[in-house]
Amino acid sequence: MLELNAVRHRYGARVALSLERFSAAQGERWLVLGPSGSGKSTLLHILAGLLRPTEGTVKVAAPIGIVPQKLHLIGSLTVEQNLLLAQYLADAPQDPARAADVLRGVGLADRAAARPRELSHGQAQRVAVARAVMNRPRLLVADEPTSNLDDAHCAAALELLETQAAECGATLVVATHDARARSRFEHRLELAA
Amino acid sequence: MNLPGISLAYLRARPLATALNLLLLALGIATIAVLMLATRQLEDRMTRDARGIDMVVGAKGSPMQLVLSAVYHLDAPTGNIPLADARQIERNPMVKQAIPIALGDSYHGFRIVGTSHDYPAHYGARLAAGRLWEKPLEAVLGADVARASGLAVGDRFVGSHGLAAGGELHEKFPYDVVGVLAPTGGVLDRLVLTPVESVWKVHEHEAEEARERGRAIPGGGGPEITALLVQFASPIAAATMPRYVNAGTNLQAAAPAFESARLFRMLGVGVEVLRAFGVVLVLAAGLSVFIALTQALEERRYDLAVMRMLGAARGRLMALLLIEGLALAAAGALAGLALGHALTSLLGAALRAQQQVPVTGWTWDAQEAWLVLLALGVGAVAALLPAWRASRAEVATVLAEGN
Repeated sequence: MLELNAVRHRYGARVALSLERFSAAQGERWLVLGPSGSGKSTLLHILAGLLRPTEGTVKVAAPIGIVPQKLHLIGSLTVEQNLLLAQYLADAPQDPARAADVLRGVGLADRAAARPRELSHGQAQRVAVARAVMNRPRLLVADEPTSNLDDAHCAAALELLETQAAECGATLVVATHDARARSRFEHRLELAA
Repeated sequence: MNLPGISLAYLRARPLATALNLLLLALGIATIAVLMLATRQLEDRMTRDARGIDMVVGAKGSPMQLVLSAVYHLDAPTGNIPLADARQIERNPMVKQAIPIALGDSYHGFRIVGTSHDYPAHYGARLAAGRLWEKPLEAVLGADVARASGLAVGDRFVGSHGLAAGGELHEKFPYDVVGVLAPTGGVLDRLVLTPVESVWKVHEHEAEEARERGRAIPGGGGPEITALLVQFASPIAAATMPRYVNAGTNLQAAAPAFESARLFRMLGVGVEVLRAFGVVLVLAAGLSVFIALTQALEERRYDLAVMRMLGAARGRLMALLLIEGLALAAAGALAGLALGHALTSLLGAALRAQQQVPVTGWTWDAQEAWLVLLALGVGAVAALLPAWRASRAEVATVLAEGN
């Protein structure tokens, strides 16, 4: 579950996010919509614990898995190492069997030894999702996962997130300005510019 | 997957920058290591060669030249002295032992030294084969001479005039090899020892020719030697004997300890300049590591932000970059030490080929541990600022920039 109350975040004088209340039950799927500058990324960073809001309270069940918009896979590590890194940095025991399972789940069982530069964008995105779910998160957040994707890939990306979140029993929060995602989510939070 | 593993993966991902930083560090460390190894071995060797010799008496001239020629057999002698004068010194009650040294000839660049049995005994030399000389024109070879020349007991050789190779051969006076010394690790290894009388005999004709021409040459007025190596009977002699010799006779007295210390002070300036050059190389390498890590930090700010996003504590990111700097420094230090030892071995081989004081790279100096610490210190300092910046970066801001 997650719960935000009277949350505001400012960058200097500029208010980047203002949210009176936002709560989600465990396992729910939420879409955060809004144009650029509406505070979607700020909200995700606050949910992920990367940003402390200027005001308000935040309650989020840990651990949290994050799929950043630019994916940011570590280029000098293999796909498997990128996954194990998530466990290592979270002080969880490193489990290559779990990495193999997750890679199988995202359809990349044969790419464990590949470097990120050897992957297509779609494959890299699946690796980023795999990395985010390695530690069986209670909350999975994804920032603009469908940007620059055609309709088919857009649907596949969202389906992958939904499937993986469901397998972990995680609450899913996807931030996007892409209207194509609207119909897939039963819960929506619309942020104004 | 652990911090050293991640650091190594990053280093491997930038092979050119990593290799250049390693090379810079290794060159700096190697320069200092060569100087350290060579100067220590030279100092040790010169101290060992001069041990037990309190004073050298020879012809007037440069005291350092006298010591270098008579004790270390490196320089030309200052001249000869009458044997009668040398005997007078020898009889002085303040003198415990006086060993004559008569120079003039050489064999393939190795000096032929006319002396007494006291000379090899002074250095505790042992015979590897044969015996010591018993009559003129019998010779005992030092270990290096025997190895380089291939001569053995029972062989015969001819000396050449002068102390450098290529002088006129004394073919009428061949030497018989009667013994070969075991290696001493000192000056004896590169000398040919023979009784003083051999030197007189070989040069007798020169004195006669000179007398016929009415010209005085060394030896013309009676037997001469080149120098006398003196050991004092008591410490008080050190204060009075040199003054007595220098002021009261036509001879010159020089103290090996003082002259070799003076020599090292003079050489020390050059050594210090080279050492400073080595330190500058190491610091330049440190700067290069700093630039490389700073650049790497810029290239990797998203990676580091992602690591923070994945749960890495700030200290862990600092440790990651510190390990990278330290790994570079440690590898550079080890490569530098290996290179330093290899270069010292090459230097030793070159010196040995010229019959100079040899050095070896197959030795370890405890001071080298300080070189490793110096390199690690430079690596740590170079990594510290980038590591601190990495740990302070605001993850959300960096990730937002990436969007």
